[in-house]
Amino acid sequence: MKDTIRRIRNIGISAHIDSGKTTLTERILYYTRRIHAIHDVKGRDGVGATMDHMELEKERGITITSAATQVRWRDHAINIIDTPGHVDFTIEVERALRVLDGAVLILCAVAGVQSQSITVDRQMRRYRVPRIAFVNKCDRSGANPEKVAEQLRDKLGHTPVLLQLPIGLEADFSGVIDLVEMKALRFEGDNGERVVEEPIPADLLPRAEEKRAEMLDVLSMYSDELMEAALEDRATPELIHEALRRGVQGLDLTPVLLGSAYKNKGVQPVLDAIVRYLPSPLDVEAEALDLERDEAPIQLSADPDAPTVALAFKLEDGRYGQLTYLRVYQGSLRKGDTLVNVRSGRKIKVGRLVRIHANQMEDIEVAPAGDIVGLFGVDCYTGDTFCAEGIRVAMTSMHVPEPVVSLGIAPADAASQAKVSKALARFAKEDPTFRVRQDDESGQTVISGMGELHLEVYVERMRREYGARVEVSPPEVAYRETISRRADFNYLHRKQTGGSGQYARVAGYIEPLEEGSYEFVDQIRGGAIPTEFIGSCDKGFRAAMEKGSLIGSPVTGVRVVINDGAAHAVDSSDMAFQAAARMAFREAYRRAAPRILEPVMRVSVEGPAEYQGAIYRSLMQRRGTILGSTEDGGFCRIEAEVPLKEMFGYATDLRSATQGKAEFTMEFAKYAPVPAEVAEQLLAERRTGAALEEDR
Amino acid sequence: MTEQMIARLRRSPRRLLEKDGVPGPGPGSLSLVLARAGVGKTAFLVGIGLDALLAGQRVLHVTLDRTIDKVRDWYDDLLLELLRLEPEAPHPAEVQLAIERRRHIHTFLGNSFSTGRLRTAAEVLASHMDFRPDVLIVDRLELESVDPAEIRALRDLAAELGAELWMSCRTHREGPASRPGHLPPPADRVEDLVDLAFCLQPDGDTVRLDVIEDRGELLARQTRIVLDPHRLLLRPGA
Repeated sequence: MKDTIRRIRNIGISAHIDSGKTTLTERILYYTRRIHAIHDVKGRDGVGATMDHMELEKERGITITSAATQVRWRDHAINIIDTPGHVDFTIEVERALRVLDGAVLILCAVAGVQSQSITVDRQMRRYRVPRIAFVNKCDRSGANPEKVAEQLRDKLGHTPVLLQLPIGLEADFSGVIDLVEMKALRFEGDNGERVVEEPIPADLLPRAEEKRAEMLDVLSMYSDELMEAALEDRATPELIHEALRRGVQGLDLTPVLLGSAYKNKGVQPVLDAIVRYLPSPLDVEAEALDLERDEAPIQLSADPDAPTVALAFKLEDGRYGQLTYLRVYQGSLRKGDTLVNVRSGRKIKVGRLVRIHANQMEDIEVAPAGDIVGLFGVDCYTGDTFCAEGIRVAMTSMHVPEPVVSLGIAPADAASQAKVSKALARFAKEDPTFRVRQDDESGQTVISGMGELHLEVYVERMRREYGARVEVSPPEVAYRETISRRADFNYLHRKQTGGSGQYARVAGYIEPLEEGSYEFVDQIRGGAIPTEFIGSCDKGFRAAMEKGSLIGSPVTGVRVVINDGAAHAVDSSDMAFQAAARMAFREAYRRAAPRILEPVMRVSVEGPAEYQGAIYRSLMQRRGTILGSTEDGGFCRIEAEVPLKEMFGYATDLRSATQGKAEFTMEFAKYAPVPAEVAEQLLAERRTGAALEEDR
Repeated sequence: MTEQMIARLRRSPRRLLEKDGVPGPGPGSLSLVLARAGVGKTAFLVGIGLDALLAGQRVLHVTLDRTIDKVRDWYDDLLLELLRLEPEAPHPAEVQLAIERRRHIHTFLGNSFSTGRLRTAAEVLASHMDFRPDVLIVDRLELESVDPAEIRALRDLAAELGAELWMSCRTHREGPASRPGHLPPPADRVEDLVDLAFCLQPDGDTVRLDVIEDRGELLARQTRIVLDPHRLLLRPGA
């Protein structure tokens, strides 16, 4: 079984939008015989690529939901998760990175390292995912793969190792030179399925030798044996592969391969590189939290006979009910096994276990540690851990960013009501960055997510997949409130209205909390507040923080310390202390210099250098703080932090300011205080809203 | 922040150059920091930049083949370390924001650096962002491969901007020996343009800052300064 695990690779494919992720995946499926014909994204045959199995994806030519598939190559099982390219869907990318052991970073040979690649790379670094790079589109006009390899160093801080040289470029691109084996590779047959090895063309040999020497120089740092062998001119491919494997898995090196997936060139060597250099589940340390020992971290073992631990990292609702994608971290997942959902404590029986191939599946009996499989008939949420009976561990929680944009939605007719509810329940279960709530004041349903496009896609899916007609209000920003100085409180809650009364006094202070959203500190001595009511105070403070008194947004970054109080033997109750805490908070809040916080996005704009001024202007007009600029040849990239509120409609404005030649990505950076004039405007809006409410 | 607090936070040797209340060696001057690879030229220049920012000045930090985030991290780490020693200082995020608004990091990748391009970038910053630097830092430019005319143009640009210019210069252990009375190679190629030259020398548990050229004689009485080896700043209370 260990040998089976050693031969598993769990791989993500990540890149900037339109770099050819889906096209590369489609070729991989074809060469590994999972499919028998190639259909292209936005292909003329109207079929669409196999991995883009949702209708909307087929139409837009972008991959929105990851689809998992397993292929076999040189006696290895490769589980591939095709990840979306747009930054609004990065939770998909992050989820994939959480469960995968390696990744292929696709770069365009013309555009090079683009803004989305930088965002994705940052995410990969966060999860310590080793990667190999594939420079795609070498057949395109302006292709310069060596420059792209250099950009990996300059823009991403990698140490790239060029393993191939192109044979011809642009329209003349006809194959690659393998610098490890020192052979030319050409891809023949109708779909490039036959890899033909040839001697290196004489005119390219000196350059190949020079590049091989450079490659050996870098790799020698990772193997003394290779260093000696290289000095004596006897470096074998095995020694080179081993040094590369070590360097890649230590996250020190990024091997760079070249090709054109669309033209069926250079894909098979990528599969070889995945198998050779990226880690198997046995090479990767998986950590979980032991719930029996106060969440102490423990190492899981990829031993197939150990108690089972598996993580649900993705859910999909399909024809046969909910399909849960699981990664097995320890033990084995067997049909008929009983597992426990650690979050809910509920037992589940492993029913139908499947291996997934985009929108087709194959039934299996068992999946060992390290494998990725699908499970039917399980009610759970994304991020749930399943364990064998007798152990209670949870996989380290995934980094889930808080949603930053909201919009109100309402069914356009009575028939759509139930459809909308069903769709929202499913989306919220599948995507932890997509939230649904009911606004208490307006009664409106509010959906929240990571960006305009993120929410737009869900609204569109409601229409298409559920046939629901939906009316949408303009997007709104998720503000927060916080305090900026300490304020004391001493509140007595007393009511006597016949029968038993209410009596509770709480005293202490609130102060700004630098990290985290809320902390409750009990410094009560001598039983001034009986122990059974301390929890009530905590509950009351939390409730008060749900709506700040400035604009009614949640309050964050507060430490509450209680150090005195009083209780009455008859009239004190849980309710009385909750009420006292709520009022105490409101009283202190006003004096704690409260302020409004707004979400600020990290924005990266890239375009021709001559538009630098226009880009600066566009960001400054949006209250942006420019962090810096980068020049690279004729291109520039400007990094800034901009309040999310100001980013609505930016895509259109940037297009018109730069004649469509610049593009941008953004991700959530932080919450920051709003300037005085914006605060004033928000407060005025709140007052107007309250007045209108009163008139009604 | 109070003036006393700012004075305590300003621990870069640049503060020793202050004359008649004007921080630093003054507009149009060229100061060169020489050291072998890995001794801490970038850390030293970041200290210079932060000193100017704390003094309320504007800094244009130019670097070659490094990401914006990397340079930003240098500044943030140094600032946070200094602020830790000042419990009464405002929240670090506030100081960081104030500093970010007075600093611009401009990086050149590949071989895209030229004084002409930097001039264009500075003009764009001035016209579109009203950003005119008091201090211009140029890090990681290899002096041995640059035409001295380019350095002269850079110095002229700094003078036009009204900024003092600070540059790093990598020296080589194996390189040609220094000629008596001259700056060590490759700085000797441009020595007629240099106003101040410092050399960073590891010295046991410390790093020594030797003043090896001082045309303005700002530091005439203090030619050897001992720095904290971690951050290349003056030791507290120095």
